[in-house]
Amino acid sequence: MNARPLMRLRLTTAATEAIGPTPHGMLSIFPITGGSFEGERLRGIVLGGADWVTAGADGTFELDLRVTLETDDSALIHMTFTGVRDDANHYFRTLPRFETAAPKYAFLNRLLAVGIGEGHRDGPVHTIEEIL
Amino acid sequence: MNTRLLMILRVTVATPRSIGAVPHGTRRTVPITGGDFEGPRLRGSVLPGASADWLLLRADGVLELDLRATLRTDDGGLIAMRSFGLRHGPPEVIEALARGEAVDPAAYYFRTTPRFETSHPACAFLNHLITVATGDRRAEGPIYTIHELL
Repeated sequence: MNARPLMRLRLTTAATEAIGPTPHGMLSIFPITGGSFEGERLRGIVLGGADWVTAGADGTFELDLRVTLETDDSALIHMTFTGVRDDANHYFRTLPRFETAAPKYAFLNRLLAVGIGEGHRDGPVHTIEEIL
Repeated sequence: MNTRLLMILRVTVATPRSIGAVPHGTRRTVPITGGDFEGPRLRGSVLPGASADWLLLRADGVLELDLRATLRTDDGGLIAMRSFGLRHGPPEVIEALARGEAVDPAAYYFRTTPRFETSHPACAFLNHLITVATGDRRAEGPIYTIHELL
């Protein structure tokens, strides 16, 4: 598979909202309070959003994130991803998707991407690549 | 991005059903009549009953793919596969595909992101795998080369 770097995304999170055991597992919601993203073709800040995280019985987490990004030239980008976090196997991978109305960033509407996540004390960092 | 081959999946398709203009674009459904898959760790066939691809042609010319298929491994395990994808390219290439002509898959963008669910112990590793696929649209049905994201 060929890929090229799209952005490095840093997210800051607030205190977890623990919904608790649901039919699909243990649900926690991580509010996203801000952050930043930077790549060769776009950069800016994270306006906010959240990640809906469901823990399975086997210790893996299913991620379901929605955030709004604002580029440094004021375009808004709706970003979502689903993903898997399995700390026992150091596997933290996501499938980001983007929607925007800004012509300059319309290329985001036409691509699929993958992310490699890392947990940091102040929030996760995702290295996102475009699938070529 | 480090990946390794998970499987090559070939599906055969029946005549598409044109749902027509819907709020988000033009909807078409494509029944999947069968197929097979093969990779270093698993192989088997595609079950036709509940397998199809839901296509949505967006206003910006991008085709969204939303495939669901049931796979059966050669040792009897059932796997539910779902995959979201995108297909787009130069108009003349997309027109050639629509006519059923053979087109070099490098001439257009056809990528999908399959996810799997199974209770079959030998395939349990699929449950937590993020994968990406490149598609090759053939007249008889698409061929997906699916890679596991390492």
